[in-house]
Amino acid sequence: MNDFAKKLFQDSKLAKETTPVVVSSRIRLARNLADFKFVKYACKGDLHAVAEKCEKVLASCPIFTNSTTINMGDLLDYEKLSLVERHLCSQEFIMETNESKLFFTDDHSISIMINEEDHLRMQVFRPDLNFKIMFDKINAIDDHVSENLNIAFDNRYGFLTACPTNVGTGMRASVMLHLPALVITKQIGNLILAVQKLGFVVRGLFGEGSEAQGNFFQISNQQTLGFAEVDILSRLTQIIRSIIEYELNAREIVKKERIIWLYDNIGRALGILRGCYCLTSIDAINCISLMMLAVDLGYLPNTLRGDLHQMMMKIQNSHIQVLENRVLNAGERDIKRAEFLREFFAAVPNLKFD
Amino acid sequence: MEKCQFCGKPATVHMTQVINNKTTVIRMCNECAAKHGLFDKEGLPFAMLSGLGEALFSGMKQNLSANGLICSKCGCTPMSFKETGRLGCPHCYKDLKLLIDGIIESSQKGTIHKGKYSREGTMAATINATDGFTDTSAKRPTRKLSTEEKLNELQEMLDAAVRAEQYEEAARLRDEIKILKGSEGIS
Repeated sequence: MNDFAKKLFQDSKLAKETTPVVVSSRIRLARNLADFKFVKYACKGDLHAVAEKCEKVLASCPIFTNSTTINMGDLLDYEKLSLVERHLCSQEFIMETNESKLFFTDDHSISIMINEEDHLRMQVFRPDLNFKIMFDKINAIDDHVSENLNIAFDNRYGFLTACPTNVGTGMRASVMLHLPALVITKQIGNLILAVQKLGFVVRGLFGEGSEAQGNFFQISNQQTLGFAEVDILSRLTQIIRSIIEYELNAREIVKKERIIWLYDNIGRALGILRGCYCLTSIDAINCISLMMLAVDLGYLPNTLRGDLHQMMMKIQNSHIQVLENRVLNAGERDIKRAEFLREFFAAVPNLKFD
Repeated sequence: MEKCQFCGKPATVHMTQVINNKTTVIRMCNECAAKHGLFDKEGLPFAMLSGLGEALFSGMKQNLSANGLICSKCGCTPMSFKETGRLGCPHCYKDLKLLIDGIIESSQKGTIHKGKYSREGTMAATINATDGFTDTSAKRPTRKLSTEEKLNELQEMLDAAVRAEQYEEAARLRDEIKILKGSEGIS
């Protein structure tokens, strides 16, 4: 493994603590320096100055003693994409990487993008639902930043951002959920509509592709102005708690009414994972989703949950290339992915159905 | 089969967004979706991404008188915002206020900041004390002010001092403003 791969694969703790239904959660704050143009309009010299100022202030923050700084321009394309797959940075961030830098802690619980759409995009992650701890953490970093940099702020509009859809708190909170039973029982469509009506966004691609993504859905706040941070977070927490309850109820219904169908699907998925020689990432994620459900329902040991989560990361397109340390085409990736999965699932115990 | 709004190929991606009970539907093919950043896990699900700003724009309340505006600091106009989906600099919030207020009204919950460092923050924090969150909105740590903010604040204090006929204090503030302006090269 090269140095980059080591940094990418060192977050075992975060993945191991993953809970059923809630896969991970995130809070992001967007901030800009008052005396510079926003990233899209700034010249190279300005972006360089912004990056230097931000880097200096972040480096003096005690929380970043065990962290890495990456000049995005130094990375290969698949290395950049692997950071997106890990959610450490956004797709937009890797498009223009001239003067952009990424900071992240060794445990991958905090990442900061410098010169994304806004000068600073600070994110904190957790494997469960606990916005209180997360917000206190990111808020402390934000205090440090706003004490040391001229942050663009207006008494009426709050924190000023490049896009008015982020203005105010500059905060977006999101939760990644694994909702297989709501998809199986076809309740997911109604749930998405209900959540949207409450001013929150459900991400994922609808229409044809909606069920073909391992049943993972990300829910986040749409609005950033007119609420206090704590209001947004407590509303989102309430919504997520009720979705978890719906999902758990739906799992009971599936177990009661469609148990043979469920055994069949989980059993076949494990068969594919143990026997595959060429597997696309969508097929792989769908199979792993069913293995996660099997763990939650007690058909596989609980200790597997974290490993499955890590496996899901490892088999993504760019992660495979980072591990192999070279560019692979789609066919080569599918073969390599199958190899990783076969090896891992050969060691997984047999399913214990009720 | 529905067609992609951008290129006319069969649409495979259907995005529905509901903001303040207004529904916008955008249909597109995989390529166009990727082009418009729809697979961006971090960004918005759609809207405000290049080109797509237009699609969202049409669903928004637009203030026609906003069309002639231009930001005195960076030259950003409603047109360039429409193209890029991004503002140019923090000052745009002053000079393009008409445009921004229209967007905020149709996409945000309210028009006044109630979060961290806000004037109204104290009230919001009291309501939320029961949730166990730290009182961040009420807390006002020393936010570093920009020169402009500092000057505004000093000017307000100066006006108040003059009104209160505290001329000694007013003179002190006047000198402070002078020094600050001098150090920043503002005439």
